[in-house]
Amino acid sequence: MSNFSLRQMTSAGAPLPLSGVAQWTERHFKWILVGPAVLLIVALSIYPLAFSLVVSFINYDFQIPGHAFVGLKNFERVIFDPVARWSLVLTAGLSGVSVAVEFMLGLAVALTMVRSFPGRGLIMSILIVPLFISPVIVGQAWTLLLQRPFGPTNYVLSQLLGYEVTIGWLTESPWLYISLIIADVWQWTPFMFVILLAGLTSIPPNLYEAAELDGVNAWQAFWAITLPHLAPMMLLAITFRLLDAIRMFDTIFIMTGGGPGTQTYTASYYLYTIGFTQFHLSQATAGSWLFLIVTALVVTLLVRRLLRAEVN
Amino acid sequence: MAVRAARRPRRRSIPVARILLLGFFLIFVLFPLYWILNTSIKPSDDYLAVPPVWWPEHPTLVHYEAALFAYRGLDGLVNSIIVSVSATILSALLGTLMAYSLARYNTGGRHLSFWVLSQRFLPPIGIVLPVFLIYRSVGIYDTRFGLIIAYTVFTLPVSVWMMFAYFRQMPKSMEEAALVDGCTRWQAFWRVAVPLAAPGIVAAAVFAFIACWTEFFFALLLTSRTAFTLPTVFRAFIGFQGAQYGEAAALAIVSLVPSIALGVLAQKHLVRGLTLGAVRG
Repeated sequence: MSNFSLRQMTSAGAPLPLSGVAQWTERHFKWILVGPAVLLIVALSIYPLAFSLVVSFINYDFQIPGHAFVGLKNFERVIFDPVARWSLVLTAGLSGVSVAVEFMLGLAVALTMVRSFPGRGLIMSILIVPLFISPVIVGQAWTLLLQRPFGPTNYVLSQLLGYEVTIGWLTESPWLYISLIIADVWQWTPFMFVILLAGLTSIPPNLYEAAELDGVNAWQAFWAITLPHLAPMMLLAITFRLLDAIRMFDTIFIMTGGGPGTQTYTASYYLYTIGFTQFHLSQATAGSWLFLIVTALVVTLLVRRLLRAEVN
Repeated sequence: MAVRAARRPRRRSIPVARILLLGFFLIFVLFPLYWILNTSIKPSDDYLAVPPVWWPEHPTLVHYEAALFAYRGLDGLVNSIIVSVSATILSALLGTLMAYSLARYNTGGRHLSFWVLSQRFLPPIGIVLPVFLIYRSVGIYDTRFGLIIAYTVFTLPVSVWMMFAYFRQMPKSMEEAALVDGCTRWQAFWRVAVPLAAPGIVAAAVFAFIACWTEFFFALLLTSRTAFTLPTVFRAFIGFQGAQYGEAAALAIVSLVPSIALGVLAQKHLVRGLTLGAVRG
């Protein structure tokens, strides 16, 4: 990218007739533009992160007085907490399964929408609606649908299957995991669908025409043309979605409240409980740092691959 | 596959698999929305009827009234509007300033732009605890101002990156002409580039607004009884001891209509919004 500048003009000997302040502004223009945004991010993201690093090494607990330096004790407490380990496993499991289902369903729906047909615009507008709804409301909606005895789900299933279905969707394992995944899939499949559809429509149609002339069948064309062309887009969609899925909190807060017991504690929910309902702030910040490190590893791994795919 | 079969002009067979899949998915998307609407206007007596009441004979608005007034939904709505609009304006403004600098002057090289991007992927739980402590000590816990600042920061990466992509694909010849004509850099930006980028700024603002409007986590932890936003009002319905199904559904309808309307209107920019400008839809 070439640099956007007219320094040549000024250095050519035609100084702009400006006051001192205006000249200073002119000279530092690019930094003045980024200043406010950078300052805000530093104040509300970098400074808090640094502060939390300090907090995680001292005692900052609303139940124990004083702020003594305690070394790695807060980290130890998290690492040796079985609930913490379970929450990490659950976060990986829930987000992995959700994203996988969303990806496959989103790809399938995108494939049905590539070609134009009557009503496509309207269907498109309907399918993207879940993206604009608060996850809290998504959780609420699925609670209304699944909650016994109010929700209609068990009734509909009983009618379809021909026998009485009495599943506690939000209280019984494994159904509560399935419920949480369904809510996530409902909200975020459109994300995959929209991005993959954009990728599919950008594949030049003449590739398919040429393949057809060569007698390649639809299945072979999918593997030979669609998949390789779509790969960068797939990676991007999965990366973005996965990085959001591992934060899963809102639907759990509404649908299960982490329960029964600690069965539906995700990493975010676990840290929230430690910090905001038990007020072990130091332990929570230590846990947040561990979670950040795990996330950062995933990010570097995925984003590296993403950048490499884009370069190719 | 169904798609490929439909491509062939000769064989206009009806792609059954495609219609079935699309049909099922449409029902899957629409049914929860229908059920919220149905629940919100259903008299409480119909709640536990078997078979379920698919559409109430005597629709009622009592749940809306209760949700807005008894459960303080209206206060939440007002807070949501003030906070989301303010944060959106700030985010779009600061995001555009920064994006212009990044796109035209390559400020800070790749590092600065990727640093901003990395903020988008920071798990909120990592910063919300210290922010909570800082807010309490500064005295902006449970204030709209505090939430506005938090939302501005959390939407900035998307605003910056959407506008960064927009400015990069915009020809710079107009601004260069303005500079040659003796405009200051600020004038070239404010009078020439910003009007040209207006559609992009509006799109970025719409996505910032939707993000603020639907946000729950920060609002839950940084506000309490004063500055609470609409999504946090749903806490009142957790557990359903009093079976406030109708109130929950009514509040959901009130909350989802504005963001859906805006989102569908801006759907042309959806791909750019979802991928932070990485993919041009």
